[in-house]
Amino acid sequence: MKPTQAVPSATALPPKPRNLFPVWLAAVLAVLWLIVRDLEISFETLAYGVADMGEYFSRYRQPDFSNLSRYLELMGVTLATALWGTVFALVVAFFLAPLAARNFTPHPLAYRMAREVLNFMRAMPDLLLALIFVAALGLGPLPGALALGVHTAGFLGKFFAESLERVDRGVYEGVAATGANFPQLVMYAGWPSILREALGYVLYILDRNVRMASVLGLVGAGGIGLALHDTLRLFDYGQSAALILVILATILIIDYASAWLRRRLG
Amino acid sequence: MSNISIQSVSKRFPNGFEALKGVSAEIAPGSFTVILGPSGAGKSTLLRLMNGLETPTSGTVRIAGEALEKANLRRMRSSVAMVFQQFNLVERLSVATNVLTGRLAHRSWVGSLFYLCRNEDMDITREALARVGLTDKAWSRADKLSGGQQQRVGIARALAQRPKVILADEPVASLDPVSSEEIMGLLREICDRDGITIIVNLHQVDLAKRFADRIIGMNSGRVVFDGASAELSPQALRTIYQREGIEHDNSLDLALAYA
Amino acid sequence: MTTVSIWRWPTPNGLPPLPLVASLCAVLGAMWLTAPLVEVDFVRLLGSLGKMAAFAGQLFVEPDWAYLPQLFDKMLETIEMTFLATMIAVVVSLPLGLLAARNATPHVLVYRLTRDLLSLMRALPELVWALVFVSAVGLGPLPGVMALAFVTVGFMGKFFAESIEVVDHRPVEGVAAHGAGWLQVRFFAMLPQALPDFVGTVMYILDHNLRAATILGLVGAGGIGYDLVMSMRLFQYDRLLPIAVAIYLVVTLLDRLSDQLRSRIIHGARK
Repeated sequence: MKPTQAVPSATALPPKPRNLFPVWLAAVLAVLWLIVRDLEISFETLAYGVADMGEYFSRYRQPDFSNLSRYLELMGVTLATALWGTVFALVVAFFLAPLAARNFTPHPLAYRMAREVLNFMRAMPDLLLALIFVAALGLGPLPGALALGVHTAGFLGKFFAESLERVDRGVYEGVAATGANFPQLVMYAGWPSILREALGYVLYILDRNVRMASVLGLVGAGGIGLALHDTLRLFDYGQSAALILVILATILIIDYASAWLRRRLG
Repeated sequence: MSNISIQSVSKRFPNGFEALKGVSAEIAPGSFTVILGPSGAGKSTLLRLMNGLETPTSGTVRIAGEALEKANLRRMRSSVAMVFQQFNLVERLSVATNVLTGRLAHRSWVGSLFYLCRNEDMDITREALARVGLTDKAWSRADKLSGGQQQRVGIARALAQRPKVILADEPVASLDPVSSEEIMGLLREICDRDGITIIVNLHQVDLAKRFADRIIGMNSGRVVFDGASAELSPQALRTIYQREGIEHDNSLDLALAYA
Repeated sequence: MTTVSIWRWPTPNGLPPLPLVASLCAVLGAMWLTAPLVEVDFVRLLGSLGKMAAFAGQLFVEPDWAYLPQLFDKMLETIEMTFLATMIAVVVSLPLGLLAARNATPHVLVYRLTRDLLSLMRALPELVWALVFVSAVGLGPLPGVMALAFVTVGFMGKFFAESIEVVDHRPVEGVAAHGAGWLQVRFFAMLPQALPDFVGTVMYILDHNLRAATILGLVGAGGIGYDLVMSMRLFQYDRLLPIAVAIYLVVTLLDRLSDQLRSRIIHGARK
C-alpha cells in the first residue's frame, strides 16, 4: 500500500494559469482590422450598398418564366454533369483510397504517392480544371464533368482513406490472418467496414457537384451558369430571378433527397 | 506433419520494449498446448510470430521446416489459422461470408473480389458452421450475435481454412464463464477429432490445467515452465506469475490459491 | 461448362442481394440515359489527350517575373477575403446556430424559420451570390467577402446547431438548476461543450472558402480568379503556371496547417 501524501499546510490556491484567450482574441481582431484596411473595404460603400440592396433585390420581384422549358433542359444537363462527375470521382477514389490509408496500405511509398495525388487533385480549383479541359475538349458539359470528377476524387479519396484509418486494426488482422492478399483484404475487410460512412460521403459530394455544375457554365463548361451570366449582364432581372429560382429549387430537392437517403441508410 | 519449431527467438519493439528474450520451444503436431502467463509476459507476441503478424528481431520460427517469409506468407497463413480475443469479425458481413473469408487464400481468383465463391467453398463453410453449431445463424449479420457466438464464428472461419494449426490468442478473455467452457471444449474437441495442432494463450490457470496436454509458462518474455499440465505445481505457478522485484508476497499465493 | 453451377454469391439463394442490384441498375441506367446530355464521347476524349499534352507542354515557359508582385498581391487578397468572410460568418452563425438548435431555441417556430433560412443561404453556390452582389455594389473584394460570408453562415449555422443538439444535457440542467438565466445557460453550459467540434468545423470551412475565394474573381469579386481566367483567355501561359503553382501551394499549406491544428485541438479536448 502506497504511503499517502502529506496534506499541504497552506490553504492558498495555486497560481491561476495564464488565460491566453484575450490575447488570441485581440490578435484576431487586429488581423481583421488590417485586412479591412488592405482590401479597402469602405463601410460607406457597404452602408450605401445595404441601403441600395433593398431596392436592388426588389428588381427580382417578378420572375419571368417565359423560357422555363429551356431552363429546365439546362438544369437537366447540369444534373447529368454532376452525376457523371461524381461517378468518375467514385471510381478513382475507389482505387486510390486503400493505398492512402496509413494502417491499410501495402507499402509506405504507395501511401505517400497516393496521398500526394489526392492532395493535388483537391488543391486545383474545379474552375481551373474546367478551363483546361475546355481548352482541350472544346465547349460543352463533358469538360465540366471531368473537372468535377478530378477535383472531387481528391476529396472522396481523402474521406474514404480517413474512414479506413478509423477501422479497428483487429478487423484487418482477422482477414489478413487467413492468408488473403491485398485486393481481397480491401474488398472483405475494408469497404464493408466503412460502407455506411462511404455512402454518406458520396451523397455529400453529389450534392456539392450539383452546386458546382450549375456555375461551371460560366466558363463554357455547359449548363445553366452561362444562362445566368448572360441574363445578369443584360440586366434582365426578370429572367435572372427565374433562373435563380430554378437553380434553387433543384438544389433544395437534391438536398432533401440525399438527406432522406442518408436517413434510410442510417 | 507440421511441427512448429521456435529457436532462440527475441523480439524488441521500436519503442524499446523487449517482449521476448530468447524463447525456444518445439510444438508437436496434433498437440494441445497452452501458453500461460500474466499480462505483458509476451504470450501474444509469441503467438503472432507463428503466423507472421509479428517478425522476430533474432532467432527463427519454422513451421514444418519452413521459415516464414514475405514470399510464402500467404501460403503459410492459409494453413495456420488464428482466433482472436476480440473475435475480429467483419461486423457488417453475414456470418456465412465471415466464415467464407477463411477460403480466400485458396482462391486468388478475381471472382472473389466480386464476392463470388465456388460451391465447394460454400459447402466447406456450411460444414464449419455445423461443426460449431451455428447453422441457423448463417445469414445473420455478424455483429448481431453474442460474444460466445461470435467467437464460434471465429473458430468456424479458422476451420474453413482446413488448417494444420490453430492459434488462439486469449480466445475466452472477453467471455463469461459458461461461454469460456464452451469455446475451450470446442477447441479441445477439434484437436482430438481432427488432429489439428492447437496453441492457446490463456491467463486463467484452471482452464489451462483442465484442457491442456502441455503448458508453457511465460513471464517477462522468458519461458519459466514447460511441461505436462499435471506437473504444474504451486511453486511453478508462483514463478510464472510473480512480478519482478517482489520476493515474498502473500497476496500472490492467496490469488493463486483461488485460481 | 456453365459458370452458374460452379460460382455463386454468399447469400441464401446464391444471387447477389436485391437492394444492391437494384441501386446499381438505377445508377447505371441514369448514366446511360444522360450520356448524350453530357456529350460523353470516349473517342473524343482519347483524341484530346494529345491536345492536353501539347497544352501541358506550353505551360512550361519561363514565368513572367514582372507579374509576380501582382500575383502576390492577389493571392494575399484572396487569403484576406477568406479569413474576413469566415470570421464574419462565425460571429453571425453563433447566435443563429443557437436559434436553430432544438434544445436551445426559444420557440419551435423560431427553430423552423431559422433552419429554413440557413438552408436557403447555403443552397446557392458562392459564385452565384458573387454575381448578384457584384451587380449590386460593384466590382472588388467587397462583393466577394459578402458572398462568401453569406453562404458560410448557411453551413456554419447548421453545423453549429447540430453540435449544440448533441451536447450532454446534464451540465445544462445543472447550470439551470442553480438559477442561471436563459442566456447564461446557453453561454456557460451549451457553448463550451459544442466548442471543440465547432473549431474543427471552422477549420474545414476555412479550407473550403479558400478554394471558393480563388475563383470568385471570375465575376469580378476580388482575388486571383480574374487573373487566372484572363491568363487562360489571353494565352498568357507565362502567368498561368505561376498562378496555378501559387494556388496549389497556398491551398496545400492551409490544408496541412488546419490538419495540425485540428489534431492538436482534439488531443487538447481529450486531455
